[in-house]
Amino acid sequence: MPSSPLLPKTAPFAEDQIAALNSVMSVTTADQRQWLSGFLAGFEAANSQQQATPAVPPARRAPLTILFGTESGNAEALAAQARKAATKLGFAPKVVDMADITLAQLAEMPNVLVIASTWGEGDPPQRAVDFLDALMADDAPRLDKVRFAVLALGDRAYVQFCEVGKRFDERFAALGATRIADRVDCDVDYEAPANAWIDATLPTLKPADEPATAEDSAVIHVDFARAAPDGPTRAKPFAAEVTEHVRLSGSRSTSDTHHLELSIEGSGILYEPGDALGVVPKNDPALADSVLAATGLSGDTALRSALIERLDITTLTGKQVEDFSKLTGAALPSEPGWIAGRQIIDLLEAAPARLTPEQLTGLLRPLPPRYYSIASSRKAVGEEAHLLVAALRYESHGRARQGVASIDMTDRGRDRQNVFLRPNQHFRLPANPDRPIIMVGPGTGVAPFRGFLQEREAIGAKGRNWLFFGHRNYTHDFLYQLEWQDWLKSGVLSRLDVAFSRDQPAKRYVQDTMWESRVDLAGWLRDGAALYVCGDMNAMAKDVHAMLLRILADQGGKDEAAAKAELDAIRRDGRYLRDVY
Amino acid sequence: MNILERPLSANEHIKSNSNFLRGTIAEGLTRVETGSLADDDTQLTKFHGIYLQDDRDLRAERGKQRMEKAFIFMARMRVPGGILTPAQWLASEKVALERGNGTLRLTTRQTIQFHGIIKSNLRPAIQELNTELLDTIAACGDVNRNVVASVDPWRGKLHETVTDTARAIATHLLPRSRAWHEIWIGEERVAGGVEEDEPIYGRTYMPRKFKIAVALPPHNDVDALAQDLSFIAIVENNQIVGYNVAAGGGMGMTHGEPDTYPRPGDIIGFCPPDQVTDVAEKVVTVQRDFGDRSDRKHARLKYTMDRVGIDIFVAEVNARLATPLQPARAFAFTTTGDRLGWAESADGTSHFTLYVENGRVTDLPGRKLRTGLHKVAELDAGRFIITANQNLVLADIPASKRDAVAVLVSEYGLDLKANGLRRNAIACVALPTCGLALAESERYLPHLVTRLEETLERVGLRDEEITIRMTGCPNGCARPYMSEIGLVGRTPGLYNLYLGASHEGLRMNKLYKRDVDDDGIVAALSPLFEAYARDRQIDERFGDFVVRTGVVARTRTGLDFHENLAPELRS
Repeated sequence: MPSSPLLPKTAPFAEDQIAALNSVMSVTTADQRQWLSGFLAGFEAANSQQQATPAVPPARRAPLTILFGTESGNAEALAAQARKAATKLGFAPKVVDMADITLAQLAEMPNVLVIASTWGEGDPPQRAVDFLDALMADDAPRLDKVRFAVLALGDRAYVQFCEVGKRFDERFAALGATRIADRVDCDVDYEAPANAWIDATLPTLKPADEPATAEDSAVIHVDFARAAPDGPTRAKPFAAEVTEHVRLSGSRSTSDTHHLELSIEGSGILYEPGDALGVVPKNDPALADSVLAATGLSGDTALRSALIERLDITTLTGKQVEDFSKLTGAALPSEPGWIAGRQIIDLLEAAPARLTPEQLTGLLRPLPPRYYSIASSRKAVGEEAHLLVAALRYESHGRARQGVASIDMTDRGRDRQNVFLRPNQHFRLPANPDRPIIMVGPGTGVAPFRGFLQEREAIGAKGRNWLFFGHRNYTHDFLYQLEWQDWLKSGVLSRLDVAFSRDQPAKRYVQDTMWESRVDLAGWLRDGAALYVCGDMNAMAKDVHAMLLRILADQGGKDEAAAKAELDAIRRDGRYLRDVY
Repeated sequence: MNILERPLSANEHIKSNSNFLRGTIAEGLTRVETGSLADDDTQLTKFHGIYLQDDRDLRAERGKQRMEKAFIFMARMRVPGGILTPAQWLASEKVALERGNGTLRLTTRQTIQFHGIIKSNLRPAIQELNTELLDTIAACGDVNRNVVASVDPWRGKLHETVTDTARAIATHLLPRSRAWHEIWIGEERVAGGVEEDEPIYGRTYMPRKFKIAVALPPHNDVDALAQDLSFIAIVENNQIVGYNVAAGGGMGMTHGEPDTYPRPGDIIGFCPPDQVTDVAEKVVTVQRDFGDRSDRKHARLKYTMDRVGIDIFVAEVNARLATPLQPARAFAFTTTGDRLGWAESADGTSHFTLYVENGRVTDLPGRKLRTGLHKVAELDAGRFIITANQNLVLADIPASKRDAVAVLVSEYGLDLKANGLRRNAIACVALPTCGLALAESERYLPHLVTRLEETLERVGLRDEEITIRMTGCPNGCARPYMSEIGLVGRTPGLYNLYLGASHEGLRMNKLYKRDVDDDGIVAALSPLFEAYARDRQIDERFGDFVVRTGVVARTRTGLDFHENLAPELRS
């Protein structure tokens, strides 16, 4: 069923009519709604001699394309906000995923807002790779008709900050498009600057004086993807009780992975398998104390709780280094890339200086939430959400470091966690329960697939399910082993392949088992299987992607380009889905 | 009812339905979701030298972690006489490091056990051993196990002869099934080939395990009377003229079941060298036909002999032999221990016997035994011979390499000094890997010996050779009932204490204390050590002393093992 809201309060119906319609709509399937819209259109045509009059707005509307490239869903969420704002301003806005557009289509679009995120070391979101490549190619078409503006999302902790947005911005202009507003680069606390950019940019795209078309005006966009407005949000998370917490890793494991069960009873969180839960974590109090000590602010309890609960004290950006230098006159580090692997505490301790509380908080970014793929299905576990959390601990520059949320969730014995839902429309089970699925989920990447299997078991789906799992050691890291065994026995899981990298002299990864199973894998894909990949983006997802191309080439007797085209077609068909981080 | 008409034990059905030891092992190896195998298959893998175990230290945590038991396999090689080439030693070490838990465990059957092999590594491990012509066939299971032989390489031709004899027996009694080669090495099964058969064993193999030794008196390192069948070399004019045959020895028993008992073998005759394999075969077939296949606790040859009577048993063996056994000849054993340190042969070769505590070859802080042996093996000189006391002999080192070996011996601490008791200590593996263990053994005995050494030091017995053997269960892998001091696990932390076996391995011991803990063992033994130091006769061994002074009654046979106990021990 769709998430609310359904009919807006502004719909041309009485309040009780809106409620009645909503009560019907809330239990409809997509198919039913589609049928209904066709029915109503036909009904109108059959019963009226007049052209159906558009409901809202009565005036003509200018087309606006809001083009997004997203990995985590942030850019997509902003695109939805921009559409809402554009609709109010009288545009006919259309939100388009970069994965679903060709350059030829783009060249015909008069108004384009680009919202693009950057991942890791300047990489585009996976779903935007092809579009960006085509745009950068020498044979890219001219974009002379296009008026555009770019909103870039990124993370200042990385050197190639907002790199993808910058490339779009430069390339659009180079291809003759007209920049109607300057690009804005947003850090992890993107909401305020992004909304400001949307509000400022839209009016500059003045709706053109063109006759309205029926198509433009007859479509009322409703954002079904959005979370319920009364559900918890990042700003107002739900304090979910931790009802179960077990360490899954064996005592001799080299990793430290935990299973948590959170009660979401009464939260209004209605997740689907594939969705993520946002967790608003707390910082390590000891690290907060170190930051306070390094700035001569020990003893300020209000500031201390701000450092623990609201501010990011575990990253370091070039801007922070510059700001700190301006504040204190400290020399900038001469070593290029000094910030890599360092945190704010390294900066503060490298050049100790007394700061005022305002100076310190001004220096720091807000503490961002962390997202975890939900490892359960509500159909199986009711009002619970299960999470699979790998506690992150590492050392860099001679200092022991910790993952903020993972340690907060696994090591502090908290009985509640502040959470909110982040839907992931791009990582859903096939609508057709008979469709086979292949799941590649090494490490904590297996989390959503536990949810998938719970869901498919609960609804009695007939589609075959094949899981590739991997980790370091079979004996100590076989997460949820007994559950996979049960599902194999009951037939819910049709096949399981595993790769444990450290069990034998030669490292072995999921992609290696995929290669060994390539004949069957290609067969499943030919049978229409949807393939899901979840987990580490840099080390795993790239290798798995390369292996898929290799398998398609090998099994289809194709060259690289043809294999790429085939995988692209599978992806466009919605059968190659990734949730990588 | 006649024992042979009782219902067969479950294992007999498993064997007969196994298609000559194949079962569904090969299919089970492909099941990645479990580190285990089908139950029946875990009985069959034993015939391939492979035991399914689990890390018992981890049992408590596994359920919570939503993982099955930490299943691991133990693989045991077939090494007749315990002899390996340096290249074979290196291959074994590599398997231990890359496929197992990083240690090599020398055993009381003169072989190497690899522990901690997970299922996905089993085939690679065995194939890697096989590249050096090593195998694990019949190292466990209801077949003739690894044939042990005395390790006296300094005795040249005599040692060579007993070794050759051990190999001949091992080869003759090797199962003919190609199952091992198919499952582990990937040998193609010959379609429409000759019908497979086991001419000696038959398709249900032996009723129970079967153990054979070849001893070279006066050295009884193989514990000849603890074996189902032993050939004890009779040496005249520095020539082996034949062998006394001992049959019906065996260590295992079950706590609380007095109709199970350890038993020393009986000397049943003598045979010339060329009759050895035939005698072995005929004893095997008599046990095959007369052994109890309904109750595995009474299936060993020792029970068959006591049930049918020794005379009838011997008559049956003789009836199957072309020439009957001759009367046994005189021989004398002096010790079951190893002669540590350097020994020289007349031909100029040298041999170094090193003490390996618990038979565990690993690198410890300050004593890098594994690395040291690796360096020795890299010299590619001589042979590595594992003794039945879990020690190792670097044998047949040519004069040209002796200095190089000597340097490594001292550099890596291979010449670890151990006192008399410790040199004669044997422990089975027990926890955490052995599924049968009721109590610790290998991980505990060294600490107990340290405590006992305090008393021995104080009463001047530091270098006295006293055998002490511990097992974690009553099945007796470390042959505890043949030890002057025997300790058998009852439950975690508690042991039965046995005393009074003879040092040279001709007499079993007797229960002295039941359910004693660490302090209790020390408290029980300390006054006896004091009395022994004070009252012993010249050259009197500790085991003989406690019998002579009435601390325990003398055990004569298996049937009186549980008899003549102190009043408080009678149940």
